[in-house]
Amino acid sequence: MAETKEKSHSDEKPKPRVRPIVRLGIFLVSHSFLVSVVCFTSGVLALFLLPVLAKNTYISENALMPGSASPMLSNHHVSDGNRLVKDLTNSNLKSSETGIESHKIIAKYMLDVGAEVSFHKFHPQMNQFHPLHFFSSPDSGKIQENCSCSSYGINTVGIIRAPRGDGKEAIVLVTPYNALTSSFGEVLSLGIAYSVFSLLTQVTWLAKDIIWLVVDSQFGEYAAVSAWLREYQTPKFSSHSTLNAEMCPDINYLFEIKVHSMAGSKFSNSFRRAGTMTAALVLKVRDQSEQFDDTVSIYAEASNGQMPNLDLINVVNYLAVHRQGLRVNVEKLWSLLNSGWLKSLGEIFESLATIAKSLNPKFKFGIPATEYVEGIATLASSLYYQALGVPTGPHGAFRDYQVDAITLEISPKFSLDKVWCSDILLRGGRLIEGVIRSVNNLLEKFHQSFFLYLLTSPSKFVSVGVYMIAFALLIAPLPMVAASLYVDANSSKGDSSFLFAITDTDEHGITIRSWRWLNSAKSVFIVHLWGAIVSLLPYFICQIPDCSPTTSFMIWVLLSILSLLILNLVLASPLACVKASQEKEWALVKSVTISSVFIGLGLMSVINFATAEIGALLMVPMCLLARPLKLDVRVGTLRSCCRIICNLVLGHIAFPPAAFFLFKGMLDGFGSANVGDFWMWVESLWAWNSATYLFIGMVQLPCWVLCVSILFHSC
Amino acid sequence: MEKLKKKIRSFSFWNWVIASIIFRLILIYFPNNLNLSSRPEVSTPLTSFRRLSEGYWLKQLSMSPYAGSMYHGSPLLLSLLGPLTVKRIEGQPNHLLYSLVSVIADVVSAMLIRATGQNLQVAYFGTLKSFDLVKQIEGSEVHSPGDVAALIYLCNPFTIVACIDESNEWLMGRMEDDEDDDEAVFVGRGPDAPPRKLFLQMHQEKGVLNQSKLPPCFSWGPIIHFAFWALLWSVYVLVLCGISLKQFGGLWEMFKSTYGFILTVEDLSPNIGVLWYFFAEVFEFFWNFFLIVFHANILFMILPLAIRLHHRPCYLAYVAVGDSALYSDMQFSLFLFCGYVGVSPLSPVMHNLWIWRGTGNANFYFATTMVYACLQEVRMVSDDMTSIKGQKSG
Repeated sequence: MAETKEKSHSDEKPKPRVRPIVRLGIFLVSHSFLVSVVCFTSGVLALFLLPVLAKNTYISENALMPGSASPMLSNHHVSDGNRLVKDLTNSNLKSSETGIESHKIIAKYMLDVGAEVSFHKFHPQMNQFHPLHFFSSPDSGKIQENCSCSSYGINTVGIIRAPRGDGKEAIVLVTPYNALTSSFGEVLSLGIAYSVFSLLTQVTWLAKDIIWLVVDSQFGEYAAVSAWLREYQTPKFSSHSTLNAEMCPDINYLFEIKVHSMAGSKFSNSFRRAGTMTAALVLKVRDQSEQFDDTVSIYAEASNGQMPNLDLINVVNYLAVHRQGLRVNVEKLWSLLNSGWLKSLGEIFESLATIAKSLNPKFKFGIPATEYVEGIATLASSLYYQALGVPTGPHGAFRDYQVDAITLEISPKFSLDKVWCSDILLRGGRLIEGVIRSVNNLLEKFHQSFFLYLLTSPSKFVSVGVYMIAFALLIAPLPMVAASLYVDANSSKGDSSFLFAITDTDEHGITIRSWRWLNSAKSVFIVHLWGAIVSLLPYFICQIPDCSPTTSFMIWVLLSILSLLILNLVLASPLACVKASQEKEWALVKSVTISSVFIGLGLMSVINFATAEIGALLMVPMCLLARPLKLDVRVGTLRSCCRIICNLVLGHIAFPPAAFFLFKGMLDGFGSANVGDFWMWVESLWAWNSATYLFIGMVQLPCWVLCVSILFHSC
Repeated sequence: MEKLKKKIRSFSFWNWVIASIIFRLILIYFPNNLNLSSRPEVSTPLTSFRRLSEGYWLKQLSMSPYAGSMYHGSPLLLSLLGPLTVKRIEGQPNHLLYSLVSVIADVVSAMLIRATGQNLQVAYFGTLKSFDLVKQIEGSEVHSPGDVAALIYLCNPFTIVACIDESNEWLMGRMEDDEDDDEAVFVGRGPDAPPRKLFLQMHQEKGVLNQSKLPPCFSWGPIIHFAFWALLWSVYVLVLCGISLKQFGGLWEMFKSTYGFILTVEDLSPNIGVLWYFFAEVFEFFWNFFLIVFHANILFMILPLAIRLHHRPCYLAYVAVGDSALYSDMQFSLFLFCGYVGVSPLSPVMHNLWIWRGTGNANFYFATTMVYACLQEVRMVSDDMTSIKGQKSG
């Protein structure tokens, strides 16, 4: 009695005024369809607007002062470099079976200019399955126990101690060099590095130590650099290093005796270190060139879409363009350059900009259509390489230790004969010298400029604050739709069980209402658990010896399906009866799915923005549109027909392997597609500790499964 | 209702207990890969395993365990757990023994929760009987709230993480039972998983309750009884502490470096509270002022809350039994759930961005802790709102 009295009393009371923010929220939730359409289209539009919104790069750190000093690299140093090039090419002609000879030559040259020299011997690490490596600290690399003496690489390290420094900071210059199959380009890069190196031993302004690392690239450049870095960053207090040396006596013998006799004091057997690294430059020279100018290509993407500080790219770009007259290039997706629709889109933006300018001359945001297309192509490749999470060069190894690094690839205009050789040595050397001199001016580590950005051209960038808008617009509909579905499912009048509950007692009604999602959450959780299992399966599959990619992929698919069935049998069996009794079950499942996708995408945008962006483009429409096909078939209006078609198309596209093959087909043509390709691609992802792998396994795949199960829901 | 009940009925209690123990044991074998004991989310200066072993080591050298501001726990923990930090079995992961003890402690506390729940149920039925309402409730099945609560405790991922990370938090929890826990709850300092704290608090409240069998008619007897035992226990603990610290400055030293340490926020290493960030930003000059503001704030809140919710323990018990779920009716359950699910991986990611990758900064991590604090706030407010609502309608 008391209860009913209380109730009627509360009914009589005037409704309390709802706060504006709550009212806004309710409005958005109730109009979630319109809001989500508007948000999604504007998100896609904002993505295409990014090249227009890109800003010009600028040097943010004042201490860098690039190009303020005139270059000191003279013809004398160039001739030094030329000498090394000549010697190395000669030694290659003489004895090509072992690379030791050329390493000795390099070491001798380094000793000649008065640098400290040491050799670093390493064993290439096999690809391991460690997708969680991203979360652990980088120095957890293990020392391999059973490494054979037959396969090893030798890095040659030369260190110049700075006359003005305290030895606590260093700049690293890396040149990959394969002594067995050395191309002329590699030798030339050594020549450039040596000419700079010989200059730096003489200058008085040096405040940071210079480390010149000639990496042995016979096991891949990245492996060699990362092996050296691991050794550099993790001092060993155990007897491991001595053990290694004892195991392979012949190598030590070769080095010690011969090099030692050459120049005495500054050669050392032990691993030499300088200070903490401020920046690293990887230098390469390409053999053939299709360019019309001498160009420098910049590769900056490290693992998981990490980029070096923008200032480093700015310095290189500024010096190359304004001092050395080189063209600077960043990667583009070439296939996009010729696409007609991008061109017309660019023209539309251009004409809009001219209209805006005619209205108010202060509006100056338009860019020419060709520039727009190039910007989009660069942006797309920037997004693509960041999303892959695989470093684009040996510079990626440095980023794991918070060192800013980029790869510079110089491609000369003509084939490399003598005259052009000296020219390239001079200009490339001066570029490197200028960059090193700038970095040398730094008082603290790179921090002033952006770490999170996308390039749309070498001199234009989109910062995190701008590109996040596009992403935020893309995922903004998710929570609203989830909320509106949740509210709908809870307050639907057709649900008989709920009505029954509310007549029971008020308290119980509330309880059930607020906990009804638990069941759907359970099924979503099961699917995500399955996703985790699927992502772990390759660890076991790759243990099977002699397995071709195609069979591995097949085993993977079979095991995944099997595990899904088993999980459903074991955990979800009590669900079946409940599901049938609830009409709106699919709405709740969809609501929880959307919430989980929202969490997953939000999380991924922090780890690797580009992956999240591409994932959102695929998954958001699929999640939002998913609706049982039966319901739509029953209605049979035009709108529901459209929805069925969209659902079916999206259901096919968003399946990760299908998306992969579609993308691959767009880039290389569909002729060469092979089932095993997907396995190889995935393998490369986990071998490089890419978080994208985890994202695909634990967010995208479960989301796809849930959406498909909603599509085929029997209601 | 039917659905919930079916679900709860379908599993047997002991199966789930065994499953959760096995899960813990599996996780114990991968501590190196998970690296949990160095995560700021689970090991604070108060609960870190490393600090405990450091304190033990100092004590073995007959120095004060509090020297060097490394260890901030109770001296009794050192004598109890210290030997476990050193002992290891050949060929097994380090600290295996310690981890096993923590698993046992977890199970024991789950059993205690269960026992409390059962007591509570008995009391509840007693109440109903006195009003002749037993027949009404017979229709709707009632589950032992203790079982459910114990299972939630055992299967809660936060508890599991806290168990695996080798922190000594579980024991701290037991010890703190006597002391005033309010401060830690309100400030949200330390890594305690939300349900856990609530459990601890409820533990106290229920403890009061199940001794006073009839909540409606208030009597001083059981309260005094409880207070007496609590007092006896704390005196006993303090005497033990005093004995073990006799040569290192006695009890005063202990208070200074345990409770004093908590109150003055000396260590500003990041955790998922918000005070470390705030005090890192505050000027030295205002330090004391803000200390007082923060701590006094809690004192101010206790009184109004106590007045407004003076009957709350009864109410909580009422709902807990009636609905056989812990947070029985909460408006934002899905929202809160998603929030916790989202925040718990976000915090290690932000920490990684800040510390290892260097692309983020302290603000990134602080943002996560803010979100966490907001979630806690929403949960507490909705908790209180339901109890107030219940009071109105009841």
